[in-house]
Amino acid sequence: MEKSLIVTANGQETFFSNSKWLYPLFELEDFLKSNTISADNLFLTDKIAGKAAAFLIVRLGFKKVHIELISEGALAVFSRFLVDVTFDSKVPKIQCATEELVKGNESPDAVWQMLRRRAGRVSGLSLSVESLGIAIDGVLVLDSLDLKVGKGDHVFIKGDNGAGKTTLLKAILGILPISSGRIQIGDWQVGTSEWERNRSVLGYVHQDMVKNNFPISASEVVEIGLAGKRMPSAEIQHRTEIAMRRTRCFHLATRSYHELSGGEKQRVNIARCLCQEAKVLLLDEPTSFLDSKAKDELFILLNELWANEAPTIVVVSHDDQWISLFSGKVFELSNGKIC
Amino acid sequence: MLELFSYEPVLRGFLVLLVAGFTFPITGVYLLRLNLLPLRFMLMHGALLGGAIALAANINPFWTTILVNLLLVWFMAQTARSLKTDMGYVSIFIMVASMGVAFALISLFNVQAKDTMSLLWGSIFAVDNWQSVAFIFISLAILAFHFIFYRQLKAVFFDTTIAYSSGVNEKLIYNTVVFLTALTVAVAMKLIGALLIDVVIILPALIATLHSRSFKRVVLWASLWGGMFSVSGFFAAYWLKVPTSSAIAILATLVFLVVYWQKKVSSKRGLSNVKRL
Repeated sequence: MEKSLIVTANGQETFFSNSKWLYPLFELEDFLKSNTISADNLFLTDKIAGKAAAFLIVRLGFKKVHIELISEGALAVFSRFLVDVTFDSKVPKIQCATEELVKGNESPDAVWQMLRRRAGRVSGLSLSVESLGIAIDGVLVLDSLDLKVGKGDHVFIKGDNGAGKTTLLKAILGILPISSGRIQIGDWQVGTSEWERNRSVLGYVHQDMVKNNFPISASEVVEIGLAGKRMPSAEIQHRTEIAMRRTRCFHLATRSYHELSGGEKQRVNIARCLCQEAKVLLLDEPTSFLDSKAKDELFILLNELWANEAPTIVVVSHDDQWISLFSGKVFELSNGKIC
Repeated sequence: MLELFSYEPVLRGFLVLLVAGFTFPITGVYLLRLNLLPLRFMLMHGALLGGAIALAANINPFWTTILVNLLLVWFMAQTARSLKTDMGYVSIFIMVASMGVAFALISLFNVQAKDTMSLLWGSIFAVDNWQSVAFIFISLAILAFHFIFYRQLKAVFFDTTIAYSSGVNEKLIYNTVVFLTALTVAVAMKLIGALLIDVVIILPALIATLHSRSFKRVVLWASLWGGMFSVSGFFAAYWLKVPTSSAIAILATLVFLVVYWQKKVSSKRGLSNVKRL
């Protein structure tokens, strides 16, 4: 089979792919990541490249490339990021729907996020809330609420205290009985027996930070993410360590959870969700107990999550300033409805 | 001293006390963690009701008590579910009703005062072979539950919502804790009496909670304290010529006071060190 993409180092072939569309570049990304290879001194040869492929190549860090058929848009992207490019032939544009989605003036990260979702390379599941009604003590808190969140998207829900933000998250979790409507996560409808078997796809970090005095260490809290699964203790320890290292809280492993600061607790809780391999993260007022430094750290951590696993993330918060740091969609919850 | 054990009821009673002493405080740890203290009050009164029914009907109090407690737990769960209310409220109602019915039965059926007192104080020497088997079975069930569901228990005790979202069947854990407690309280009445059930279930757990800094250690120490109180209480009762239940109760209370005082002193010392810094 003909190779669509080849990467060489000092004339020696180190990687090739014969997949179609943008998949060779995603495969290459995995290859470079898993072997911790820098693309600086590698040479890439691709059959065809439009703007989308050009952005991915730039993001991978290649400085020298040869493209057999290149679009003018791709050439502009390469020259914008100072990539040394040669080609066999040039066309005004590549006939592909993806090309229409890329303007050319975005950042490589933004294009990569969008393309990766199109390629289905996100761990997140879609979330759909349809005509949701919830009454608590006879009072309608949520009324015909609709919300759609795509795979790997991140959304923020703002609203005043008592607007029903936490109620919405608890309904998505399946803890609160629903008066009307339905909630769908991936292929499962919340509340069904199938859902019950798969509900650990949801990771939940709640607002009030667990106030009891149950003696538990930070690593034991992270392990809770695996409490619903059967696995050998060595595997549990391994996964716990990886999750804690990822969220930079491994040094807290033996510390009592209750003695940690608000920011440290958030990192431990996000590590718990990572350990659980949650596909949808529900964060309830995550900045409530954080100082500005801890808020910045949480922002960086969530961005890293999106850049890697890309779970679907739903954050409810009334911290407008913190929300404005992100690029996700922002909804407002008012009078029991999403505006 | 050891010639005591040549009497079969004494040996059997001692062994049952030992087994219960080591295992029953584990349910005490669960009760403290899940804040189910009103439930254990209800079960203590339910055990009295079971005893009163048995004495009035002239049937075996041991098995009747187990049955009554299981029925009360079932009734409590059903009522709480249908009224959509907290089990704690329902348990208070059942507790008062149980006592009322128990006293009415004792009065209506002219139950002898000494028989009523036997319910309140219990006797380790009155345990028969089948009852010993029941004790061992319940103790094994507690241990099996603890070791099989250890990780899930930890998750539920930390936070039920987080446990639920991690895929833990928190309702199963909660209901099993309630069921095991019902059994434990019912059979403990035989050993130590309705009034002192806390001595074998709650006090060792409470003492362990005061000085242990991990769940594993709390359970281990609760079990060790329970076992130590049982053994030392048994011999102290022999030397002091008092009922075993009261010897165990006095010993456990003394240890609790010492540990509590020591914790107070050490936390004050810690505070003054912080001030000096």
